[in-house]
Amino acid sequence: MKQSKFFAIISDVHLWVPLGVLLGGICLLIALR
Amino acid sequence: MSDQTSYAEKRVRALHTVGVVCGLAAGAWLGTAEAPVKLASAQLPPFIVTLGMVLGVFLARWTVPVMLKGAGFVVRDLRQNAHLIVWALIAGTLWVVANTLTVFAIKNVGLSIAFPLWNTNCLIGLFWGWLFFNELKGSGWKGWAQVFGGSLALVVGAAILAWATTGHAASTGANPRLGIAAALGAGVLWGTQYIPYRKAYISGITPLSFVTVIACGELVSTLILSTVFAGGFTNLGHQISAARPFLFWLFLGGFCWVFGDLFQQYAAKYIGIGRGIPLSNTNQLWGLAWGALVFGELSAIDAHARMLVLLGSLVMILGAAFIGTAAAPASERNSWSDAMHRECNRYGLDATRVVSILKGDDPRAHQKPPRRWWELLFPICSVGAMIWLGTLLQRPTVELNLLWIAVLLAITGCSLFLSGMLLWKRTRFS
Repeated sequence: MKQSKFFAIISDVHLWVPLGVLLGGICLLIALR
Repeated sequence: MSDQTSYAEKRVRALHTVGVVCGLAAGAWLGTAEAPVKLASAQLPPFIVTLGMVLGVFLARWTVPVMLKGAGFVVRDLRQNAHLIVWALIAGTLWVVANTLTVFAIKNVGLSIAFPLWNTNCLIGLFWGWLFFNELKGSGWKGWAQVFGGSLALVVGAAILAWATTGHAASTGANPRLGIAAALGAGVLWGTQYIPYRKAYISGITPLSFVTVIACGELVSTLILSTVFAGGFTNLGHQISAARPFLFWLFLGGFCWVFGDLFQQYAAKYIGIGRGIPLSNTNQLWGLAWGALVFGELSAIDAHARMLVLLGSLVMILGAAFIGTAAAPASERNSWSDAMHRECNRYGLDATRVVSILKGDDPRAHQKPPRRWWELLFPICSVGAMIWLGTLLQRPTVELNLLWIAVLLAITGCSLFLSGMLLWKRTRFS
């Protein structure tokens, strides 16, 4: 059950969109620094 | 049957009112938070301002939920929705990175250009709300016109205000392109931060529980970024030590900000991010009121700029009125319900319970988990920190209008009381 919840999370597009945007923001910060 | 339908309709209207009132109260408190921060920000590096404020935010984000609902409720709520912890941490980190980007944006292109760019965050939120959570789907052209038109009016009104009040200084930094990228980036990050909010609330978690984990994400990421930008722990320690006479204002700002943020979370829960976030963006009007009436910031501007200030404020008020009167019709609420059932299926949540919670009738709200003595430590720590920082406080050097401070505090105090009472009466803070 725990494993299926884990896969539910990592296969959720709602996770990857904010994570991708966050990664982009961090890259931008590095470029600005 | 018709009685039941009529009751359900009344309930929907009541919750729409709760969401709109919370969105407006969020604007008032987020704007009020700018006032104490102003007293400190001119004296300190931007990263220390953020860190000081986030420390206050962290304390308040644990103290308020524990006082209102009890630690037992918060822990149980988080356990029942453990899958949302990762989204709360992402939301906190997104906020901190966006906030840091604004520092670079202001440095490179100035506030009057940067502010309108990052203020588009409500349009980004609207887009994500439509794409991922079915907001505005089924609302018809009238709903679209009211919500999208109202959001656009709020963005344009805020841009006019920023243009009129911050001067039109050319970029002070070396790289305007990077400044614009930073401002747009901040808008996208803040707009995307609302995905976790909506995700959480259509899953049935209580905002009071969700914000406790957001606070952890904010604190850890702020500490990391502050250490990096200060050039190591030792330098950061020196800068914090030098900032001690101003930390009280940052903590106070953080506390006010948390009230605003909590109302914003409830607005996102009951009317969605497409409607709730633009309403809370009226904080620009309150920030302007504090700046003009208490700090006398507009005394030097000319008649043309004053006209622009009036115009910008009017456009924002009209935008908020458009959104406030755009209650979701039954067809749109069915689309929201589809999104909610999708979450329940994916994460194995009890759909009946979540439906009740989204109607403001959380079955757990009627149970009273036992209170523990150590819950008192949260308010004691918060009050103790404020008193201690108050003893280190340096008297502000800027002239303040005490009468207007009293008037604005009375208005925001009333908004806290009335919105809080409405939330309690109709949702039990669920």
